Amino acid sequence: MTSALDRFLHTDRLPHIWCAGCGAGMVTGAFLRAAAKLDLHKDTTAIIGGIGCSSRAAGYLDFGTVHAIHGRALAFATGIKMARPDFTVIVFTGDGDGAAIGGNHLIHACRRNIDITCILFNNSIYGMTGGQASPMSQEDDVSVTAPYGQAERSFDLCRLTEAAGATYVARGTAYAGRELERLIRDGVRHKGFSFIEAVSQCPTEYGKRNPPKGAIAMLEDQRDRSVSAKEAAGMTPEELEGKLITGLIYKDESAPEFQESYQRMVERVQQDFDGTS
Amino acid sequence: MELWYTHLLREKLDQDSLLVQGNRASALGALDAGVRFFAGYPITPSSEIMETMARELPKVGGVFLQMEDEIASICACIGGSLTGEISMTATSGPGFSLMQEAIGYAIMAEAPLVIVNVMRVGPSTGRPTAPSQGDVMQARWGTHGDHPAIVLAASNVVDMYRLTMAAVRFAQRFRTPVTLLADEVVGHMRESFSAEKAGRYRLSSGDFDFTENYSRPDLVREVHPPHQLGAFRHPHVTGLVHDETGFPTNDPQKSAEFLRELHDKVAHHRDELCLYDVKNEGRGRVCIVAYGSCARSARAAMDLAQHEGIPVEVLHLYTLFPLPVEILQRVARRVEFMLIPELNLGQYAREVRKMAEQWTTVISMGKIDGTLITPRELVDRVSDLVGKYENV
Ligand SMILES: Cc1ncc(C[n+]2csc(CCOP(=O)(O)OP(=O)(O)O)c2C)c(N)n1
Repeated sequence: MTSALDRFLHTDRLPHIWCAGCGAGMVTGAFLRAAAKLDLHKDTTAIIGGIGCSSRAAGYLDFGTVHAIHGRALAFATGIKMARPDFTVIVFTGDGDGAAIGGNHLIHACRRNIDITCILFNNSIYGMTGGQASPMSQEDDVSVTAPYGQAERSFDLCRLTEAAGATYVARGTAYAGRELERLIRDGVRHKGFSFIEAVSQCPTEYGKRNPPKGAIAMLEDQRDRSVSAKEAAGMTPEELEGKLITGLIYKDESAPEFQESYQRMVERVQQDFDGTS
Repeated sequence: MELWYTHLLREKLDQDSLLVQGNRASALGALDAGVRFFAGYPITPSSEIMETMARELPKVGGVFLQMEDEIASICACIGGSLTGEISMTATSGPGFSLMQEAIGYAIMAEAPLVIVNVMRVGPSTGRPTAPSQGDVMQARWGTHGDHPAIVLAASNVVDMYRLTMAAVRFAQRFRTPVTLLADEVVGHMRESFSAEKAGRYRLSSGDFDFTENYSRPDLVREVHPPHQLGAFRHPHVTGLVHDETGFPTNDPQKSAEFLRELHDKVAHHRDELCLYDVKNEGRGRVCIVAYGSCARSARAAMDLAQHEGIPVEVLHLYTLFPLPVEILQRVARRVEFMLIPELNLGQYAREVRKMAEQWTTVISMGKIDGTLITPRELVDRVSDLVGKYENV
C-alpha cells in the first residue's frame, strides 16, 4: 500500500488481523484508492462493517467507522443515512455477514434504493470462525461444516441484488485491483443503492481444503474465470458455467432514491401541516 | 414551553383535555421529549405507537422508518443514535426477543435509545391481545453478558406519556438503552389527558420535572466520551470491549474496568433512577408492591380495604431496574408481608424476596390467564394474610 493512502488509515492499529495471502487487504486497498480519488471527507463519511474478517476492515480506516453486529451493518447504515443524508455511507460486509445472516437486510436495502454503497467481500467461506460453509460456497466445496462437500447451491448475488432493486450492481475481483477500484469509485458516486461483489480469496480456510492451493493460484483462478459483462452478453449459459461475470452489471439512474423520496414527502407534509395550524 | 401535543390537540378539538390512548400518549411523550427518529416493525399491542410516529414525525422533519423486522428496527435506531439523534422503537414480546442482541450492542457502544415493550401473553405468539408482565426479567437480562439495565413500567395513560419522557432523559444522561414496559391494557386504554396532568410528576421518590432540559441532560460522570459520528469527528464505534479511544482492547484490566463502569454508571445513580410512590406510608401490616396495571389495582385495593377497615400500604414502582433497593428494604423493615401482584409467575417477587426476606415475608401473587388482577382479589388476599396472622 502506498504511503499516500496512509492518511486514510489508523496506522497505529496495524498490523491487521488478516492472514498472509488474504484478499481482504487487496479489496480494502482498492477502496482506499477509490476514496482518495473521491476525496472522501473523514467527518462525513461513515463506514459500517458487520462481523467477520472482511468487516474488520472498517476498524483500520480513519473515517467515522462502526463495527456493528453480525449481519446488521446495512440496518445500522440505513439509520445513519436517514439521520444524516449529507453523509457518504459505505458498508463492508462478508458473504456470511451479508448473504446469510444479513440477507434480509440486503434485499430490503436494495428495494429501498437507499444511497448506500455496499461492498461484499466474497471469499466463499466463513473465515473468522474457522472455515465453515457460506451461502457463497459452491456445490462440492469442502469446509468444516460440509466435510463431504457442499450439497447446497449458492447465490448469484449480482442477480439477486439487481432483482431486489439495487440500481448499481457490479462484480470485481481482488486480482483485478484497478478495475475494482473503479467499480467502487463509481458505486460511491452513484445516487442510490450500489452493490459491489468483491470476489476475494481465503487461502487459510478455503484454500486449505479446496483447489487451487495458495494465494497466487487462487488469484490466477479469479483472473482465469473472469469474463467481462460485455463478453458475457454474447455467451451461452453453458459457456458461462463456472465463470465470474465482472465489471458493471447493472445501472439505473432514473429510479427514485429512498432518502430523497422521504425528504420530498416530509416537505409536502410540512407544507400541509403549516397550512392548517 | 409549548409542548408538542398541544398542536395535536388544537388540530383535533378546541379543548385542553381529551381522551388519549396509552400507546398514543407514549408517542406524544416521545415527541415532546425530542425524539425525532423512530424505526419499528408492527406488532400487537404496540402498533399505535408506531402509527402515531408515522403520522407525526414527518410534520417535524423527523425520520420514521418501517423496517423489515425488529432486528433491523433497533439497528437503524442505533445508527440514528450514533449520529446524535434521540431514537426510539416500540414492540411487544416476540419483537423484543429479536432485539436482544442489538440492545447489548447499544449498552456496549453507549448509544442512547428508548425501547417501549407493550407486553402480551407469551411465550411465542402467546395471546397477542391479552395483557401480561411476562417480559420483566427479559427486560433485565434479555441480552447476553453482564450488563446494566434501566427498566421503567407504566400503569396508565399519563404514565405512558411521562415515563416515555423520563426514558428519553435517562437514555441521554446515562447513554444507554432504556426499556419502558407497558402491557396490553395500559397500551390500549383511553383516559383523559391534559397539559396540567402531564407536566409534573409528584412522587414519594421526589418530583420529576419534565420541563427542564430533559432531553439533553448532563452526562453522568461514569459515561465514556460519546463517540458521535459527524459533529466534526470521525470516531470508531464497536461492540467489542474497548477503551476510552473507542478501539478494542484485550487488556484484562482495561476490559474489567470498562464493563464495571458500564455497570456502575447505573448502579451508582439509583437515587435518581428509581421512581416510586408510597401510599398509606407506615400504615398497615401489609404492603402491596406493584407496578404497571397491577399498581392501578393496588391503589384501588388500598381504598377498598380502607373501607373494610384494613389499612394497607402500597408501594408503586415506576422503575423496576435498577432495583429500588433502598425503598424496598425500608418498607420490608416495617411490614409483616409484602404482597406482589404480577401478571406473570412471580418474576419480580423473586427479585424483591432476595433483598427483603430477612425482614419480611414476601408473597407472590401471579396471574397468567390474560386478565387483570382485580382490587377485590387483592383485598381478599390481604385479609387472608392478616387473618391468618391473627389466628396464629
Ligand atoms: C449472531 C452471531 N452469530 C454468529 C457469530 C459468529 N461469526 C462471526 S463472523 C462469522 C462469519 C463471517 O463470515 P463472512 O461474513 O463470510 O466473513 P469472513 O470472516 O469470511 O470475512 C460468524 C458466523 C456472531 N458473531 N454473531
